[in-house]
Amino acid sequence: MSGARLREGARAGLIGGAVFVFLGMVGMIANFAGLSLVGSQVTLGLVLMLLPALIAAATAARPRVEAGEVRRLPTPAAAATGIAAGAVTGAVVAAALLVVEVVTVERIRSVFVSVSPTLVGIVAFHRTWAVAAAIHVAGGAVLGAAGGAYRSLAPDVRRPVAVGLGTVLVLGLLQRLVPTILFELGLRSDWLYSRTTLGLTWPGAGLAFAAGAGGWVIWRRRRRWQPGGPLERLAEGERATRIALGAVVLVGLLALPLLAGSVISEILGLVAVFLLLGLGLNVVVGYAGLLDLGYVAFFAVGAYFTALLTGADIVAVLGTAEPAFSLHLSFYAALPIVILLAAGIGILIGAPVLRLRGDYLAIVTLGFGEIARIVFASEWLQPVAGGAQGLRAVTPAPILGIGFRQPQRFYYLALAACLLAIFVSRRLADSRIGRAWTAMREDEQVAEAMGISTVKYKLLAFAIGGAVGSLGGALFAVKLSTVQPDSFTILVSIVALAIVILGGMGSIPGVVVGALVLMGLPGLLAQFEEFRLLIYGAVLIAVMILRPQGLIPNVRRMRELKEEERLQDAWLRAGEQAGEEPEVAVAGEEARP
Amino acid sequence: MALLECRDVTKAFGGLAALQGLDLDVQVGEIVSVIGPNGAGKTTLFNVITGIYEPDDGRIRFDGQGLAGLKPNQITKLGIARTFQTVHLFANMTVLENAMVGQHCRTRAGLVSSVLRLPSQRAEEERVRERARQALAFFGPRLTGYREDQPASVLSYANRRRLEIARALATEPKLLLLDEPTAGMNPVETQELTRLIGRMRDELGLTILVIEHDMRVVKGVSDRVVALDYGRKIAEGTYEQVAHDERVIEAYLGRRAVESA
Repeated sequence: MSGARLREGARAGLIGGAVFVFLGMVGMIANFAGLSLVGSQVTLGLVLMLLPALIAAATAARPRVEAGEVRRLPTPAAAATGIAAGAVTGAVVAAALLVVEVVTVERIRSVFVSVSPTLVGIVAFHRTWAVAAAIHVAGGAVLGAAGGAYRSLAPDVRRPVAVGLGTVLVLGLLQRLVPTILFELGLRSDWLYSRTTLGLTWPGAGLAFAAGAGGWVIWRRRRRWQPGGPLERLAEGERATRIALGAVVLVGLLALPLLAGSVISEILGLVAVFLLLGLGLNVVVGYAGLLDLGYVAFFAVGAYFTALLTGADIVAVLGTAEPAFSLHLSFYAALPIVILLAAGIGILIGAPVLRLRGDYLAIVTLGFGEIARIVFASEWLQPVAGGAQGLRAVTPAPILGIGFRQPQRFYYLALAACLLAIFVSRRLADSRIGRAWTAMREDEQVAEAMGISTVKYKLLAFAIGGAVGSLGGALFAVKLSTVQPDSFTILVSIVALAIVILGGMGSIPGVVVGALVLMGLPGLLAQFEEFRLLIYGAVLIAVMILRPQGLIPNVRRMRELKEEERLQDAWLRAGEQAGEEPEVAVAGEEARP
Repeated sequence: MALLECRDVTKAFGGLAALQGLDLDVQVGEIVSVIGPNGAGKTTLFNVITGIYEPDDGRIRFDGQGLAGLKPNQITKLGIARTFQTVHLFANMTVLENAMVGQHCRTRAGLVSSVLRLPSQRAEEERVRERARQALAFFGPRLTGYREDQPASVLSYANRRRLEIARALATEPKLLLLDEPTAGMNPVETQELTRLIGRMRDELGLTILVIEHDMRVVKGVSDRVVALDYGRKIAEGTYEQVAHDERVIEAYLGRRAVESA
C-alpha cells in the first residue's frame, strides 16, 4: 500500500524534475532570477525553482480512490509521499546538473542556447556538483514534505493559505502598476514595495498575505451567514446595486489612465484593442458556435480601410506618396463605412463556408485569414495598400483638434469602443437573435427544424463579428499610426481565440478577463515578453484540463444550477400549502386549474 | 380538403428504398398513427415531410401549397412542427428558453430593434415568453414553476419528451408530427400522454400524425392507422381493421408465424 504511494510520489517527482529542467532550458529560471518578488532573496526565478517539487508533492498526495473508496491521506502519509516526490524532483535536477558537468556548458549551449553559465550557477547555487546535488535532493524532500502535508490539510485551512500566497504573488508581479497608482493618489508606497529591489518588502508581503487570506475567510463567512440564495439577493436590490456597482466601475475605468501613467495606459490601450477582437470573435465562436481561425482578416480590413478612407500615405521609394485610392474623411465619418464594409466582407467569407462545421470550418477560415494578409501585402495592391511597407501617417482621430494617439487619450477612445461592443453583445445575447444562435450552436439541425434559418443567423454572426473586429482594427491603426501587413499574422487570430477560450466561451466578463490576462500581464512584466507564447500554451492547456468551461463561464447558468435544490424545496412547499401535491398531480385534466 | 397530401413519395438511400410511391392524406383535425416494423420508413416519411430530406420523386402538399424545395425552417413556418425519435433538446438552454426558441418563426425582431430594445421588441419578447409559458403549461405543473429556469439537461427522461412536444407546440403549428412520443415512458406516463394527444387536437385544434410502437397508444388516439413496410403502405383504416389485417400481422410477426397460427 505505502509502496504504491511512494511509487506515485516518485512518478510525480519525475514529472516535476522534468518541468524544472524544462523551465531552466527555455531560460525562464535565469531570466526571472532578476525579478524580485519579496525582499531581495525571493525572486520569480527562485519561485520557479521551488514550485515543481511543491506541486509534484501536492499532486502525489491528493486524495485518491483505493479499492472503490476515496481515501484522503493522513498528514504523515501525505508528507511521506511528498518527500518521495520532492526528493525525486531534486534528484532529476541533480542528474541534469551532472550531465552539464560532464558534457560542459559550452557544448550544450551550442544547441540549447539558454543553458548559460549564469543558469548553471543559479541552479547549482554556485557550489560544486556534489554539494548542489545534496542541496537539491534534501531541499526537494523538505519542499515535498511541506507540499504533501499542505495537501492533507482541511480545505478551510488550505484555501486561505493558497489565496494569501496568490495575493503576494500577484502584488509582486504588479510591481510596476501598484506603486504608480499609489504615488498618483498621493500615498506612500515604500511600506509595501522596496525602492531598491522594486519587489514587495517583507512586511508588505506579510500584509498582502494577511489581507488575501483574511479577506477570503471573511468573504466566505459572510456568504454563509446571509439568508437566502444569491439569486434572491440579486433580485432584491438588483437595480440599485447594479447601478451603483456600474458607476463605481465606470469612475474607476475613467480615472485609471490618470493614475497609472502613460506606460500602463499604453498597455491598457493594447488590451482594449484585443478585447474588441475577443468580443467580436465571441459572437462568432461563443454565441454562434462557428470556429473561425481567420478572424485576423477583419482586424486587417478595419485597419487598412480606416487608413485609406482617412487619407494615409503609402511608403514610396523616395519618402511617401498618396495611395492610388484615398479619401480624406474624418475618422468618425469613416468608421461607420469601415464597419459596414467589414460586415459585408463577413457575409462574403461566411457564404461559401455555410455548410462546413467544426474542424473543416476552422481550416477554411484559417486560409481566409492568410489570404487577407497576403492580398494586403501583395505587389498587385501596392499602389493602394503599400505592399510590405504598408501605410503610414494614419489620422489620430481628432475631436475638436485633440488627437487620440497619445496613450492616455487613446485609452478613452478604446474604452468607448469596448463599452459599445459590450453593450451590443449583451443586448444581442439576450434577444431573439441570441436565442437563435444558442439553439444553432447546440444542435444545428434541430434549430432548423424549429424554424430558425441557420443560413441567416450564421451570416449574421459573421457580419457582426466582422464589424466588431474591424472596429478593433480601426483603433489599432489610429494607435500605431502605421498599418503594416506584418501586424496581421495568424498569431492575432490565435490570441483572439485564446482570449475567448481562457475567459469562457459566450461570457463577456470572461472575455474581459481573458484579454487582461493574456495581453495585460505580459505587458506589465517586460521579462514575460520572450516567453509569452510558451505561457499562453501552458495556460491554455491548464485551463482545458482544470476548467474547460473557462475562468468565468456563463455566470447566470452556474448560479441557477446551484440554486436548483433550494428552489425545488420552495416550490414543493408552496405546492403543499396550496393543498395539492405536485409530484402526484399528473398533467391530466384534474391537475389543471 | 386534406391538410397534408403525399402523392407517390419515393426516397432511396443508395440501393435501399426507404419510401416507395407512398400516398398519404391527412384531413384537418385528424389523428393518424403510422405503424410498421423497424426500418419500414416511418421516420424517413417525417424527414421528407419536414424538408430534412428532399424526396426523389412524388410531391407533398400542405394546406394547398407544395413543399418542394423548401428548407426545414420555411416548412416549420408554414405550420408543420415535429418531435424527434431520440430526444433532441437544446440541453444547455433552460426549459423556458427551449420553448421560446419554438416561437422564433412567429416573431420578427431584427438586429436594430434588439440592440436598441425598441418598444416593439420588448412587447414581442413579452409575448414570446407568454406563449412559451402557455405551451409549457399544457403539461400541467411538470414544466412550470422553478423548472422553467432549469437547463433542459437536468430534466427527467419523460419530462424531456414533454418539453420537446411543448417546444413544437410553441411554433404554433397546424400539423404536429410526433415520432414515438411514448418511447421509454412508463405505463402511467404513457397513459397520460395518450390523453394529452387527444387534448391537443380537441383544445388546440391540431392535426396530428404520430409514429408509435405501443399498440395501446395507437388504439387510444387514432382516428385512422396507416401501416408501412419496406417503404410501402400495406394497410390503412381504423385500428381494428389494421390490427387484423393479415399483411400487417405478417409484417410484424413474419410469414411462418402467421402460417402456424
